Amino acid sequence: MMRFEGKTAIVTGGSRGIGRACVARLAAEGARVAFIYQSNQQAAEALIQELKCAEGQLRAFQADVRDLQRAHEIVDGLFEEWGQIDVLVNSAGIVKDGLMGAMTQDQWRDVIETNLGGTFNYCHAVTQPMMMARRGSIVNLSSTAAEFAARGQANYAASKGGINGLTRSLAKELAPRNVRVNAIAPGMIETDMSQVVRGIAGDQIKKMIPLKRIGQAEEIAAATAFLASDDASYLTGQVLRVDGGLSLGGY
Amino acid sequence: MPTKEEVFEKIQAALVDALGVDEEDVTPEATLVGDLGAESIDFLDIVFRLEKAFNIKIPRGELFPEDILTDAKYVQDGKVTEEGLSELRKRMPFANLDDFAKNPVVQDFGNLLTVADMCRFVESKVEVTD
Repeated sequence: MMRFEGKTAIVTGGSRGIGRACVARLAAEGARVAFIYQSNQQAAEALIQELKCAEGQLRAFQADVRDLQRAHEIVDGLFEEWGQIDVLVNSAGIVKDGLMGAMTQDQWRDVIETNLGGTFNYCHAVTQPMMMARRGSIVNLSSTAAEFAARGQANYAASKGGINGLTRSLAKELAPRNVRVNAIAPGMIETDMSQVVRGIAGDQIKKMIPLKRIGQAEEIAAATAFLASDDASYLTGQVLRVDGGLSLGGY
Repeated sequence: MPTKEEVFEKIQAALVDALGVDEEDVTPEATLVGDLGAESIDFLDIVFRLEKAFNIKIPRGELFPEDILTDAKYVQDGKVTEEGLSELRKRMPFANLDDFAKNPVVQDFGNLLTVADMCRFVESKVEVTD
């Protein structure tokens, strides 16, 4: 499938984990992709080498997603160069778990400002070009943690719940302009970010997942590419759980 | 330096694109909400297009001061207070608020802004010749 031939995409948090898989998937389907990475230049360069894209198809930008002005600089520059922004995937996210009584204000702020604030910043930056072009698709990476409680994740759950609310509100706002906004809520996925919790409770978690295995970043990227593509042209304001059935509950 | 005629033509084009209306409907007297069917999100779209057409920056809320109209400090029982009206006058020197001030129902606010107001607004931002 080459659903993104002639299209352009921006992916935040693109050098690692789910974001990286999204970059690879969108590029493999023909998109010109710019990805944002926070600090790991080595990982960003390795990804560019690994994907062996055509000259200019893949670009990397170092940026802190908490910086709104920088988001606008990057998006405005890409818009000037590309003439269009078709897809935005907000995948930049961090975890800094801690029980409430021990959670520092920095832990709270870092997670909220990166996960939710970063999503706001890049949505804000693409709104003008997408609105004016009367087309675009935004996919925000949420989490099943937004709705299913885990101890010590008040900051993370709040940030992801915030993303769900932002997604639905923005979807309604931009729908008259033919811009779709959706979210993906991954369950337990094999990434660096989840390795601590997988290390502690991996086997136990697997038992709770109806599909009986931890998900792969590529499986999230596949669902993200679907929502970003015209295959999902009648879908907006939705939070799609991609979790092997973990959130089904029951017995 | 554009003439007033050129300012009108560019605004007309921006409104045709943003609102999907016919060019002949965009007359100076036409109201943006009542006659041209603009909704709140359209004002943002219009601002984007004006910025591009005239190469200017328009602070958000200057053309359509939604923040004042939704601020409990300036609105009571669905009407804009005296204090709110004076804020609106400060923010929108290009618009004639006298009629609105007689019965300042928030819901009716959108109806007062005309294409001519918008031309005056842009003329205050760019130098124009006659």
